[in-house]
Amino acid sequence: MTTDAKQSWAGERMPCLGGLCGALFAPRCTPEGKYLDTLPGLIAIALAFLTLSGAVMAAYYDPWHAFASVQFIRREVNNGWLVQAYHATGATALFGLVYLHLFRVMLTRAYRAPGEFAWWLAVKLLALLLFVGWMGFVLSGGAAGYWSLFNAANAAVSLPGAPGAVARWFLGGPAAPASLARLEMFHTVLALAALAVAGGLLAARRKVAPQPAPGKGVAFYPYYLAQYLAALAVFALIFSVLLFFAPHFGQPAVNALAADPLTLPAGTALPWYLLPLAGVADALPGLWGGVAGVAGALVVLAALPWLDRAGPDGAKGKLYCALTWILALDVLALGATSAAHDNPQAPLLLGLFTLWYFFHFLVLTPLVTAMEAK
Amino acid sequence: MAETAATEASGHGTESRRGFLTILTGAASAVAIGAIGWPLVDALNPDAESEAGARLIVDVADIAENTAKAVQWGGLPIYIRKLTAQQIADAQAVVPDTLPDPADFMSRVPAAYQNYVVVVGLNTGTPCELEGNDPADPRGDFGGWICPCDGSQYDPLGRVRSGPAKKNLAIPRFTFINAAQIQFG
Repeated sequence: MTTDAKQSWAGERMPCLGGLCGALFAPRCTPEGKYLDTLPGLIAIALAFLTLSGAVMAAYYDPWHAFASVQFIRREVNNGWLVQAYHATGATALFGLVYLHLFRVMLTRAYRAPGEFAWWLAVKLLALLLFVGWMGFVLSGGAAGYWSLFNAANAAVSLPGAPGAVARWFLGGPAAPASLARLEMFHTVLALAALAVAGGLLAARRKVAPQPAPGKGVAFYPYYLAQYLAALAVFALIFSVLLFFAPHFGQPAVNALAADPLTLPAGTALPWYLLPLAGVADALPGLWGGVAGVAGALVVLAALPWLDRAGPDGAKGKLYCALTWILALDVLALGATSAAHDNPQAPLLLGLFTLWYFFHFLVLTPLVTAMEAK
Repeated sequence: MAETAATEASGHGTESRRGFLTILTGAASAVAIGAIGWPLVDALNPDAESEAGARLIVDVADIAENTAKAVQWGGLPIYIRKLTAQQIADAQAVVPDTLPDPADFMSRVPAAYQNYVVVVGLNTGTPCELEGNDPADPRGDFGGWICPCDGSQYDPLGRVRSGPAKKNLAIPRFTFINAAQIQFG
């Protein structure tokens, strides 16, 4: 049975299934696909892999003895050290893929219509994953995770009115083991939601992919499957190197200590994938400043299809391309400065980099794209 | 010779080469998926702590005659009792067919260490923990164990002799590692 026949067989019996098959395994693609087009697929695979390893760890994880249970997983569970490393390194790999995908879409300006829906899904995925990633970092029960939760929870729970009530409902009181039990639940549920968003991203990207000229297309199998396998092999190689040679990559060293409510560790920090956004939050004053910074940074990202004034068919100028590269450097600099936040110059630099981030989206993007489109 | 090699390299061998590459890719993928997936499956096997608990080793050398030691294994109270020569002789004298749940002496004790009885210390009628491990405890008319809940009585081999209970005490899976230690599981 050919792919077409299978699709119509399933589609007749369950129309939405036929549509899903068509979206995920489009029968006809252009012959010259780019290897980086496999990024959404790799994101979905990495997310599914994280879900699997997380499900295995959930069998042993105990939020009331979080740090001890992670140690138990690493020492007593068969291959537990490997499963735990899968999960920790999987998070690093997943965020690497998501950041790379977002950057690539910005660079190729594929977020313009009709790609804006796929772009929103990608930004939504990033927002969800940042939240899920932070919860996973807190669930490790290490000192850095504990104090991150402590600070966030105490600030949120003491808010007046509805926000405080929501925070109390979500956390079940400030930084108690009960909070970890809830966070474990939300970590799981939102990770599954992220898996659904990743599936949506995959389907939406298929629609945006260039359509082949009549009679020129090639089938997904075996051409694109081979491409996916090659991309997956390269990804697996990088993943293995990180897994076996840098299992604590991007994790604050303090998190290797058990959390102690009476001892504030000298350097509290976050994992690398949270650092740029934490830098934006730190640059703005107060709790609401931080919240507004994080929300604003994601909102301007999502608003990119409107901020780009060149229109769907406008020319792609070199200047805007260079500005996008500068933005990437700016985000890296935000992360690096946020990691070194004890430096006396850090507040000033964080302010500057945050200013540039919003300046890029809100001023430079509309101006330069409109100018270059003429 | 040279001509054959050239033919194979250019056109003739393409089909077999593609087949070979397909098999190679498929095999490598299968190995890779297996290697990645196996730790996830293996991690759900019993962990080292449960495994150690499931293969519990108990020291029996310190048990005095006519006394039983209680240990917990697999969530059950296990009684390990050392018999006196008199109790062995008495138990062997009983005709199994006269008992509520007939069982002969050799089916109740390990063949190599016939002075030890290892049983699950739960009454087989009303599930209560039995009394009679210490010589000073109430033991009933047969010198074994008695149930404080329904009054069922057992002999030193754990065979039911009277009371609502109808079955002998269960014997857990165990082996003598040496004269001083037994291992469960």
